[in-house]
Amino acid sequence: MAAGTSTTPHHVMVIDTNRCVGCWTCAVGCKEVNNEPLGYWWNRVLTTAPNQSTSAKKPASENIDVPWGEYPNVEMSYLPVACQHCNDAPCVKVCPVQATFRRDDGTVLVDYERCIGCRYCIAACPYGVRVFNWGGGEYAPGGVVGYGKDYRTDGHLVFEPERPKGVVEKCTFCVERIDVGEQPFCVEVCPLGARVFGDLNDPASEVSQLVNEGGAVQLLAELGTEPNVYYVPTRRRVMTET
Amino acid sequence: MSVTRRAFLGGSAVAVGGLVVADKLRFLKPAAAAAATAEQAAGTASGGALSGAELVYRTGHSNNCDGACGHLVHVVDGRVTMVGPAPWGTKTVSGAPAPTFHPRVCLRGLSQISNTYSPDRVKYPYKRVGPRGSGQWQRISWDEATSLIAENFKRVQDKYGKTAVWVAPYTGSLALIEGVVGAGFRFASVIGASAGDSEGDNEGDSATPAGWNYVLVDPANPANGGGFFTGHESVDFLSAKAIVFWANNVAETSIPDWRIMLDARQQSGTQLISVDPRFTPTAAQSDMWLPIRPGADTALIDGVINYVIKNGLYDAPYIRAYTVGPYLVDPRTKKWLRAKEVIPGLSGKAADDYVVFDEADRRLKAAGDPTLGSAALFGRYGQAGLQAPTALQLLAEAVAPFTPERTSELTDVPASQVVALAQAWGTTKPLAVRAGFGLSHWYHGDLHMQALLTLQAITGNIGVHGGGVTTFAGGLTTTAFDLLHWWAPNGKPYTLLEPMNFCDAVEKGKPFPVRAAWFMVDNFAQQMSDRNRVVNAIKQLDFVVVSDYVLSATAELADVVLPACTYFEKTDLLSSNNFYLQYMPKVIEPLFESKSDLDAIRLVAEKMGVGQYFDKPPQEYLKEILHLGQKDADPTVRGLTWEQLTTEAVHLNTDPIPYVPFFNKQFPTKSGKIEFYVEMLVPFGQELAVHQEPIEASPTNPLFKKYPLVFLSTHTRFRTHSQYVNLPWLKEVNNGGNGFLEINPKDAAARGIANDDVVRVFNDRGQMKVRARLTEAIKPGVVNCYQGGWDTLKVKHYIEGHPNNLTHQIAKPAQALIPNFPSNAAYYDCLVQVERSEA
Repeated sequence: MAAGTSTTPHHVMVIDTNRCVGCWTCAVGCKEVNNEPLGYWWNRVLTTAPNQSTSAKKPASENIDVPWGEYPNVEMSYLPVACQHCNDAPCVKVCPVQATFRRDDGTVLVDYERCIGCRYCIAACPYGVRVFNWGGGEYAPGGVVGYGKDYRTDGHLVFEPERPKGVVEKCTFCVERIDVGEQPFCVEVCPLGARVFGDLNDPASEVSQLVNEGGAVQLLAELGTEPNVYYVPTRRRVMTET
Repeated sequence: MSVTRRAFLGGSAVAVGGLVVADKLRFLKPAAAAAATAEQAAGTASGGALSGAELVYRTGHSNNCDGACGHLVHVVDGRVTMVGPAPWGTKTVSGAPAPTFHPRVCLRGLSQISNTYSPDRVKYPYKRVGPRGSGQWQRISWDEATSLIAENFKRVQDKYGKTAVWVAPYTGSLALIEGVVGAGFRFASVIGASAGDSEGDNEGDSATPAGWNYVLVDPANPANGGGFFTGHESVDFLSAKAIVFWANNVAETSIPDWRIMLDARQQSGTQLISVDPRFTPTAAQSDMWLPIRPGADTALIDGVINYVIKNGLYDAPYIRAYTVGPYLVDPRTKKWLRAKEVIPGLSGKAADDYVVFDEADRRLKAAGDPTLGSAALFGRYGQAGLQAPTALQLLAEAVAPFTPERTSELTDVPASQVVALAQAWGTTKPLAVRAGFGLSHWYHGDLHMQALLTLQAITGNIGVHGGGVTTFAGGLTTTAFDLLHWWAPNGKPYTLLEPMNFCDAVEKGKPFPVRAAWFMVDNFAQQMSDRNRVVNAIKQLDFVVVSDYVLSATAELADVVLPACTYFEKTDLLSSNNFYLQYMPKVIEPLFESKSDLDAIRLVAEKMGVGQYFDKPPQEYLKEILHLGQKDADPTVRGLTWEQLTTEAVHLNTDPIPYVPFFNKQFPTKSGKIEFYVEMLVPFGQELAVHQEPIEASPTNPLFKKYPLVFLSTHTRFRTHSQYVNLPWLKEVNNGGNGFLEINPKDAAARGIANDDVVRVFNDRGQMKVRARLTEAIKPGVVNCYQGGWDTLKVKHYIEGHPNNLTHQIAKPAQALIPNFPSNAAYYDCLVQVERSEA
């Protein structure tokens, strides 16, 4: 951290959509490190038109890797979406038991010992990134994978290898990793180097450069939720004619 | 949970001279984890209390992927709990700096945990008790299984000859001890058997290597070992100013390599150009995408060559110095004109030299004549009525019809794009080509590569950083490993029987009868083209053994199935696709009763009287293959120590770094130059790379009326061939694990097909049923079904069949000129019809 800044970092993640190829490695890595049950994804990769704005013909089917437009005038990009860790998070506001809380570093977390499973947060989240643990979850063969231990921050139980039935789960920015100076696992495993994680309070950090000068934007910024996940817009669109 | 937990460790795990030293382990909580050596783990493999301690190993992902990632594997109490990307060594064997190479992993590597612990694992040896393929098995002991194998192999060899046993160790693993260059070849050699192809994937990946050898290698020279194939190190693409991805969907199939291409664009403004009939993730991120008609690749290349020559965009000094461009061709024979035929008074070597025309004094001269001023590149020269053209002149004439307009007609690429590509090619240097193996899946795949090399030769892009034509590279393509002695310890190598000749050998006894087979890391009965014929041939065999970690479509046809290990459970070495040595320690004990192929072979070999060739642990064989500590070790690995090998992934001593083939411009051809005019192909009319229509998938084929759709069966990121198919994480993100046929909405509408409808895909060779996926990513007139999904009794990835029920085995005779790449399965050169069907 640069000298003279606050001692509390402001954690943000920047995802460069010019580098994302929709491979799902981040999502599978998330599933691994967090031991997510089958059918649950804290992190998903959407196929979109570049920058979600296009006048091109809608996709022929609603599947991944299906482009907008008409062959050969087609276009496609990808948008990985997990918890946006909002500064003004609707999920925090609606939680009746303060199970969802925001740390000073910007990380939004769920205290699994407080969560009562009311799912108000799921309804409130405009990004659709929270999942409800219905219990009896099945897992990939091989037993518990990933971090494998409980993790607490300021006394809150924010990670368990197998979450109990009836809680709401979501991306934690890999709090157990970032608290010891490591990168979130999706950043670590991204084969494209599309994800950057760091401290927005440090003007020299790569995330600061990308947010302040690289034109990175927030999803649904108009809602005023102030996400701490930013996206570098897609600069290129394939032109079949040059 | 069905997995047996095995604890390696006694109460105390201690880090001792770790395999990976602690400061390199970015994922570890130092208090909770300790680095370990393979020997340490192996030495404590028996019993012990669960300690909860975490050990982390560095290994290489050997499962037949061009990514060849390094994995950090976390093991707690003998169970793998996490896989992540591993750092690469920073030095070469001799201590020079290695290139910067990012740690890499992808969704398949991360899914290896569930692959190893999959309920689909073959747990015990089995013998067949019902009809072949009926799925009726009886569990037997390893002793009974290996006795059955030894007895049946001996019986077959006594009755039909030694080579009647065919061993097929295959590309399911790219490591040294097991798989594509593995112990199966050694076993075949010492029992005198025949064996499948070791020069990479003969099942479709041999055509472009053959074309590469036509131009760059003299296959008849013993020094070239029957032909070879290599390419540029992946980080060398950082030096390119333009990169053309020809039939190469890097961003989906070799994902971490795409980062290098994006880095090149970000750092140097490198142009990324994709040539593909499909709008792939690679095409989507490229600066230019050329939507080509499948199989028309050489026509597009010819169009570029024509434009480059017509507009003077070729590299004249390079052509003179390093290619046969100025050499004169005898118009009567189409063979090289020799100096003695036109220049009197020459003797010795000069008499047989090539002939050039010296523009300086306007005389014919031997190519090696020290008085040569400047050899003419174009024109016809001679005397007494003989007008001999230069090779470049012949090329210019041969490609002259390929104007942008004509090229557009042949390729469906707009003429403006042909010009744009040609302009980029002629004005951007260095320019690199990444040619996917998809380019090889054609009857004329050899021609496609010949054409690409011709273009790269005349633009001066071969043997330079940031240039070349790269399909496959890595340590396996170097001379680092003494494979000949590894394969033939008794000096008598196995007899080669290529996969393309297997059916003939079984059905017709040609070139010799095959009556028994042992498939290892090879799902031949599903992945080989013309599958119905292959399955029928396998069923005719007297005895079939399959070693695999899952009950594959091939294993279902076996008489004896042996439970194999996954790469976590055995020791090996990976040096494929990159130029690092990735030691692969055994990180957990073999699950159930599984064994490594080496251990399985040892048990059979002992019963066949050749056990002495397999009586060492894998580490000792690795030392032998590397000539570790020996003075005669190959220069790429000379001075390597065991500690170095097992401490980090060390880079080979390549020259240069990053590795570039022919950097010294010494070409191992007859002429010593790049031979884009290929004299040995004159009998085939292919001395120059001029477009020919696909053997089947062409509108000029009468069959096209009946089967009007070109059928591709490409790779998906969600599996590696037929590995990683039935794993829950990957199935969830890949259409629930259900296969699909990509079809353009236009073609679908014409057939009354809606998205997700069940369709029947068929031709005269067979059929499959699968659901349709409508997408504008695929060219009208082309359909695609990702290959590799399982068609077994238990798992039907497609509703019925597999893409290889439709493909064929038509081999191109010219390829036989290259002993190591003599035949090729043209998977994509295939026509089908599609109709709506009932499920």
